[in-house]
Amino acid sequence: MDLKQKVKSLSSIESKALKALYSEKLKKMDEIAKKSGLPIDSIRRAIEWLKEKNLAEIVEEKQEQIVLTAIGKSSLRKALPERLFVEALQALEGKGSLEQVYKKSQLNRPEFNVAMGLAKRNAWISIQGGKETILEFTGLEKDFIEGNYPLEKTMKKIKEALELNKEEKKALQEALKRGLAEKTVNVEKKARLTADGKKAIEMLGTVKQRAYNVHGAVPKILVGKKQAYEQFLEKARAKLVAMGFKEMKSPMITQEFYNFDALFQPQGHPARQWTDTYQLKHPKTGKLPGKKFVEQVKAAHENGWKTESKGWEYKWSEEIAKKVMPAAHGTAHSARQMLNGVESPGKYFAIARCYRPDVVDASHLIEFNQLEGIIVGNELNFRHLLGMLKEFAIKFGNATEVKFFPDYYPFTEPSVQLSAKHPVLDWIELGGAGIFRPELTLPLNVKETVLAWGIGIDRLAMLTLGIKDIRKLFSQDLTWLRNARQVVE
Amino acid sequence: MPNVEVSKKDLQKLIGRKLDAKQLEEAIEFAKGEIELTEGDKIVIDEKDTNRPDLLSAEGIAREIRGRIGIEKGIPKYKIKKSDVSVIVDKNVAKIRPYIAAAVVKNVKISEEMLVQMINSQEKICGTFGRRRKEAAIGIYDWNKLKQPMHYRAYDPKAKKFIPLEYQIEMDLEEILLEHPKGKEFKHLLEGFSKYPIFEDLIGTVASMPPIINSQITGKVAMDTKEFLVEVTGYKQEIVNTTLNVIVSAMAERGFAVYSVKIKYPDKTIVTPDFSPKKINVAIEDFKKISGLELSTKQITVLLQKARYDVKINGKKLECKYPSYRPDILHPVDVIEDAIISYGYNKIKPLPLKLATVGEELSEEKLKRAVEEICIGIGLQGILTFTMSSKAKQAAMIGLDEKKEQFVEIANPVSENYVVFRKRIYPELLEFLAKNKHASFPQKIFEAGKVTELKKASETGVSEKNKICIVLSGKGAEFTVIKGVLDAVADNLGEKYSLKENTEPALENGKSSAVDIAGRNGFFGEVKKSVLQKFGLEQQTVVLEIEI
Repeated sequence: MDLKQKVKSLSSIESKALKALYSEKLKKMDEIAKKSGLPIDSIRRAIEWLKEKNLAEIVEEKQEQIVLTAIGKSSLRKALPERLFVEALQALEGKGSLEQVYKKSQLNRPEFNVAMGLAKRNAWISIQGGKETILEFTGLEKDFIEGNYPLEKTMKKIKEALELNKEEKKALQEALKRGLAEKTVNVEKKARLTADGKKAIEMLGTVKQRAYNVHGAVPKILVGKKQAYEQFLEKARAKLVAMGFKEMKSPMITQEFYNFDALFQPQGHPARQWTDTYQLKHPKTGKLPGKKFVEQVKAAHENGWKTESKGWEYKWSEEIAKKVMPAAHGTAHSARQMLNGVESPGKYFAIARCYRPDVVDASHLIEFNQLEGIIVGNELNFRHLLGMLKEFAIKFGNATEVKFFPDYYPFTEPSVQLSAKHPVLDWIELGGAGIFRPELTLPLNVKETVLAWGIGIDRLAMLTLGIKDIRKLFSQDLTWLRNARQVVE
Repeated sequence: MPNVEVSKKDLQKLIGRKLDAKQLEEAIEFAKGEIELTEGDKIVIDEKDTNRPDLLSAEGIAREIRGRIGIEKGIPKYKIKKSDVSVIVDKNVAKIRPYIAAAVVKNVKISEEMLVQMINSQEKICGTFGRRRKEAAIGIYDWNKLKQPMHYRAYDPKAKKFIPLEYQIEMDLEEILLEHPKGKEFKHLLEGFSKYPIFEDLIGTVASMPPIINSQITGKVAMDTKEFLVEVTGYKQEIVNTTLNVIVSAMAERGFAVYSVKIKYPDKTIVTPDFSPKKINVAIEDFKKISGLELSTKQITVLLQKARYDVKINGKKLECKYPSYRPDILHPVDVIEDAIISYGYNKIKPLPLKLATVGEELSEEKLKRAVEEICIGIGLQGILTFTMSSKAKQAAMIGLDEKKEQFVEIANPVSENYVVFRKRIYPELLEFLAKNKHASFPQKIFEAGKVTELKKASETGVSEKNKICIVLSGKGAEFTVIKGVLDAVADNLGEKYSLKENTEPALENGKSSAVDIAGRNGFFGEVKKSVLQKFGLEQQTVVLEIEI
């Protein structure tokens, strides 16, 4: 690796350590840390890495060091035995028997003996023998009492690692002898730049370096995006357009004529009741299409008209057909499209918002979407319908296998239910379809065969988005929406 | 889709062959049923065809299956024995509930399964095919407690008393309508009449008050009942006859003996039940045309016999006779579907659909998407809310008079949260923000969707428009920012806009404006503190809403 490559590969802490090293002069680790503003541990690591890259050199310096022993430390904290001895004699007003001083000093016997010996050597006391040994200050003790004692001063300096003067060096010998201090050997790591390191510093500003701490968290970027379910619907729309389907208008509010009558649903049918569909307070009625269509639909219901059907055999009411309601299913829009004219061959679809009075829970919404459509053409039959359903199952449900079941819709005959084998979820009900009844197509002036289909788009969306509660399609949770992944297919 | 609950053992017995779980599931599919649940001996079948009352019982499902799997073929034959029992119909029911059909059933061997099927199917038939008792109301009585002839006639509300089902005390007819649960539920069927129908025997013992309630004494079938009288009332002879056929043929399936009853109307007498088959002609070529299957006439005949038709070839047509319990056959396509079902949907080879058509989305969808793309470019999060809303949100909370404001309004709301169709989107988005106060700020959201207004001149009395609504909330959500958003939207659509004085009461005066982009109206500005408070919002918020 050439130097430029090395510089390029430097991490953030390596660069900072390099800059802090600055010269070929040896520097201590804590010095480098302070200069770089990084924690000492990071610097140690960084210097090791730099050494590997031959940008820095590490030198281990052995240093003799004098430190206080445990006894030394505790003596310094409390007091040296000689001071306790002198203080005891002081308390006895400068004169007292050996035993009196011993008791007062609270020293143990060896400590006491050492202390008395020292006091004698320093000529702070005189000792008179006799029946009792009497100790007495000489007057030379005053300097000591005032705190002027080289050993103590030396120990303080050792503790603070300060340099000792000549007199103190003498006292040091005593401290060592008395076990108050000891000598140790300290190995200290120091670092300096290599020649390459020096060049590297100059290159730091000019060479682009790698990302810093690549594992660290960075501020979250919230991207603008479509709502997850809307993304899904858009993909579905795009697929249908690609398959040659034209989109139909899908008004939210429709006349019952399109929602029911034109679909050959009799007016007394329970599905048209209050409990199964929403009805409106305002507005109440809308307009019916041209008279010809109304007459034909009426006749189809009452006697089958020219369709070979018996019809439903009841008196059809224009007043009921005129009523407006929120669309209950997408097929309403197919009826409107057929009445307004369809091409042959022609394919049409709608993504329709539908409304049904229900209690909202994890599997029911009062407002949902249906994907519905029709295929118009001559020479179309039930096998084409199955072929189209199979194509849908593959395109929309990633199906590996399909099954068809007999089903019932008031507006199709024959009718079929489509089940698809999903690679992960096994068999799922994907939708329903059929051939529109002649009682439906002929009164709307459509002579061709019309294949009609519907796909349970909400259910599919739930599978795609990985949600179990249908309410989440209209999620009210901003965080979930922000985190929802983009719909790809 | 009614659920039919059956006993597996009972169903197997009625079919007459023991089928394993898979065979049974497939057999039930022939009867347009789907097994919803299996629990021990209990099977719940979702019967999809609401037009087949004959499939709403174990007996009916078994009969269908016996044909489809080849145990029997053609129309089931039931014997009807003649009896001297008659029902005398008074002319005073002619305007109230004119038609009746009846049968007597003997040799009854009641089992628990049979009783459950009888009661449940009766209710389901009335609910679907009987149009919630309007077109057909069924009564089944303990025949040993009644004396013929029976009378069907109407009485003044106070002129007759009996103990209604599940009650201990006698009530007059008016009391029943006002107090009995079934009276309350179905009294609309007798609304506007001064007399109510009664079905009673020779000595005036009440059997029932059609279509409301049976008598506790004669109209309750128990484990020890030996003979039934079955009766159906309604507005059309054909429908009451079919309903009676469905009920009585199911009893005959269990081997009970069916006896006819004479119905004596003032002007004519008929005999029910009438099991004579109905007839429909189907062009042979239509089978191929619709199914796409290459089938010989012989094959078609076999398929229809499995579906319990009797078939005769008549030139280019098939003369198809079908059982009297089937009201669903209106058109040859209904017969053709039956043949395809017998063939087996999954045996059919699908054909690829090759039609050269050009796809296209609605132009309003294209514009909507263009605007949404601008919103995404600005960095906004898309939101989807319901188009149904509450009056409070759409009026009172945004400073409009709830009583004066006109909405497209639901007559039968389920919840007060969904009573009107929204005119504005931003109240929905403010509510959305209120639910997300814990999420990180700034919160920048949009929704493109439909709004409605009343409009007499339109075809549905409603005008529906697409709107874009943008709401920004958090520090710095000020007038200048939302005006910048407006500029971005207008510029990127290549449109100019003009400003007018704001009329949206939720927006701060002097920090808001109405806007017109090439004829599309809207408004934008800072939301008033008082409005934010009503939604429980603390952060500064701006709104832009325009038609697209």
